[in-house]
Amino acid sequence: MSIIIGVLEQGMIYAMMALGIYITYKILDFPDLTVDGSFPLGAAVTAALMVKGMNPYLTLPISFAAGAAAGILTGIIHVKFKVRDLLSGIIMMTALYTINLKIAGKANVPLFSLENIFDNKVLDSIVPEAAAPYQTLVMILIILLIVKLLLDGFLRTRSGFLLRAAGDNPVLVTSLAKDSGKVKILGLAIANGLVALSGCVFAQWQRVFDISVGTGTMVIGLASVIIGVNLCRFLPRVKDTFAVLIGSVIYRACVAAALQLGLQANDMKLITAALFFIILCISMDRKKKVKAHA
Amino acid sequence: MLELRNINKYYNPGTINEMCLFDNFNFKVDTGDFVSVVGSNGSGKTSMLNIICGSIDVDSGSINIDGKDITREKEYQRHTYIGRVYQNPAMGTCPDMTILENMSLADNKGKKYNLRAGVNKKRIDFYRSNLRQLNLGLEDKLHIKVGSLSGGQRQAMALLMSTMTPIDFLILDEHTAALDPKTAEIIMELTDKIVSEKKLTTIMVTHNLRYAVEYGNRLVMMHQGKVILDRNGSQKDNMEVDEILERFNEISIECGN
Amino acid sequence: MKKKMVSMLLCTGMVLSMLAGCSQAAKLSTVMAAGKETSSSTEELAEGNYKIGIAQFAQHGSLDNCREGFLQGLEEEGFVEGENLEIDYQNSDADMGTAGTIAQGFAAKGVDLMCGIATPAAQACYNAALKTEIPTIYTAVTDPVAAELATEDQMPTGNATGTSDKLPVEAQLKMIRELLPEAKTIGIIYTTSEVNSESTIKEYEALVGEYGFALETVGIATIADVPSAADTILEKVDCLNNLTDNTVVSALPTILDKANKKGIPVFGSEVEQVKIGCLASEGIDYIALGKQTGKMAAQVLKGEMKAEEMPFESITESNLYLNTKVAENLGISVSDEVKDRAAETFTEIEE
Repeated sequence: MSIIIGVLEQGMIYAMMALGIYITYKILDFPDLTVDGSFPLGAAVTAALMVKGMNPYLTLPISFAAGAAAGILTGIIHVKFKVRDLLSGIIMMTALYTINLKIAGKANVPLFSLENIFDNKVLDSIVPEAAAPYQTLVMILIILLIVKLLLDGFLRTRSGFLLRAAGDNPVLVTSLAKDSGKVKILGLAIANGLVALSGCVFAQWQRVFDISVGTGTMVIGLASVIIGVNLCRFLPRVKDTFAVLIGSVIYRACVAAALQLGLQANDMKLITAALFFIILCISMDRKKKVKAHA
Repeated sequence: MLELRNINKYYNPGTINEMCLFDNFNFKVDTGDFVSVVGSNGSGKTSMLNIICGSIDVDSGSINIDGKDITREKEYQRHTYIGRVYQNPAMGTCPDMTILENMSLADNKGKKYNLRAGVNKKRIDFYRSNLRQLNLGLEDKLHIKVGSLSGGQRQAMALLMSTMTPIDFLILDEHTAALDPKTAEIIMELTDKIVSEKKLTTIMVTHNLRYAVEYGNRLVMMHQGKVILDRNGSQKDNMEVDEILERFNEISIECGN
Repeated sequence: MKKKMVSMLLCTGMVLSMLAGCSQAAKLSTVMAAGKETSSSTEELAEGNYKIGIAQFAQHGSLDNCREGFLQGLEEEGFVEGENLEIDYQNSDADMGTAGTIAQGFAAKGVDLMCGIATPAAQACYNAALKTEIPTIYTAVTDPVAAELATEDQMPTGNATGTSDKLPVEAQLKMIRELLPEAKTIGIIYTTSEVNSESTIKEYEALVGEYGFALETVGIATIADVPSAADTILEKVDCLNNLTDNTVVSALPTILDKANKKGIPVFGSEVEQVKIGCLASEGIDYIALGKQTGKMAAQVLKGEMKAEEMPFESITESNLYLNTKVAENLGISVSDEVKDRAAETFTEIEE
């Protein structure tokens, strides 16, 4: 039972990050590697602030803001300086490695002795003893649901429509007298904000910041998005954002299962890559995007 | 009034592949005109549209609208008062969004794209009545993704969308070229209807000489970055397709084809 | 689109391996001679059956040796794998997320003890075991205090204890003084992003005075900075001293080459460095460290002690490794006393 809780907890934490990647990869069609830096950025900001004694709940919006700032910079590098999308992300990711170290102060910051969003006096006094094992899970679920509903809501606003249009057909955005570059920057900001938020929750869950925490964020997120969206394609009326959540939990479950089966983590990267490749090949025919000015 | 003054545009300047597109090109369109532009491939028709819309920059010269210089305005800024329909029906709509969402997007042009609801439910009837005049049955498919519509249906929507909010200029870039003859006919009639209803100043590039003769009040033929034929009003009314075709043959011979 | 995907995957892969490379616990990337000692006469088996989950942070020579030693230590105390001990060994391949999943898995399975090898794995185990009764034993954690696994007085912060692989700084300084009685300044090149290097530097700063040295340090960010950093620092020092700094150690041949041209000796921090041309090193034996850890784990399993009552241990003895060929090249005379003390002496420089 508790292994399932562990998988759900971790899967749902990474789901927030996967939602960010859903925005860049699926909506904007922008392969954004910034996330490998913005995930630890959220964790670093959280660690630095918590060590200074800040209320752990406040680190959530601040991490989001820090991630958004990183996203905006990637966007500016891409849009204003006309650097190719992939390269802009790499530039930012590389820069963030140093920035994260500077923010956190060192490569490994333990947070064991501090109160966090899952474990604090107020929460412990409210939650009854019997529910304690589920306390963390429920907390993550609440944060995730808020994030998902806000994102769903945003995608239904005028601004959200424009964001979807920018990925779908940038020419149309121009025709609507809007700067598609700015819309892209907005999308990158929201996406990296979500990724950093996920990093913030992860650091509090793991009770430690480590500089290596961002390794492979992109791959995990992409796998979650692709698995989720392609599996849920066969289910009627399932929102993509929900599919991404499912994908993230499934991915975590696969990792846990593989480890249980005695598979080595080093082999897993290759297996993930192969799985990825297969799913992508299967789903390749479904969409031919308009690529004007490409 | 739209005016292109002394436009110079070279491709690959300073290289061996340097190609002159426009050399001191001048062109004027009066308010309320419906201009059909014809010409062979590479004559500069589409480039002219791109220059007007700001998709490509000019090397020198100016673009003026009602006396105001817009040469420095960005493409998206110019689209506040310009609507454009492309040859590729996919360019004017969002394939992954529904018909309703696409209509709402277009309806919000000129307003702020803020956090208000993307779809204004009060406007749905208006969208329906707009779609009904297309006679394509789209008004009953509001929640279908545009990507699953046919090219003709999409182009009809693109036309509706680009003219839904008040604009001064309509730019039609071979907008019937990718359609079958029957659909092209429908789209062309629809275009004429919208242009006359909304009194839009229109520039239409087309390869269909019949449309060029039949629609609009002015016909322009371009060749190698120059206007070589410009007929107005009654002059144009008396034109025949054969006459233009003859001109076409002349230029082809000049080129040695 | 297709092209984009492929290039994205490629890049991600590249970046992954890059990051994995530099973020492993700051250890040497050299494999120690895994001299597996023949276990001393088999002890009596301890009663009962036990299950231990070993979470190792990364694939790494020194870390592998720790694990090896850990199992040997257990065996000596009567816990034999395959007989009365079941080992669930998992490697997180330098991925924090996976480390978390592994540790959670151990907790869910209800193992009798978790062993975390290297700091992030130790922290993941500790975190997963927080709400359980499962003790955590760690090893190869350079600074358990900084990792919040122990307090200043070496006592655990929770139900976790183990061993530290802190460098024997004092012994090293003493040895340098013995070999170079005239030297005034020691230079250290280190990577600013490696947390263990920074804490070791602090220790050197505190101790060099006692042995009559001054310290010059230069920080680098990437391996590309090494040549210019070496040139700068070699102008100012009488000898160089290496830490277990991944990046610097990878560039050791470059540093040695530059130092040799100037006739400046370089001291290592591990046996492998001495093999390839460092003059000498007071280093720790990771197998011995693992063994010590295994014995601690055995005490906990037997119920003799609780993990939370045991202070973390550092290896008390260090071994001297010496390269006489290097000494000869540099014209440094090594006293017989030092020669006798050396655990291992190399007479050649390995290329």
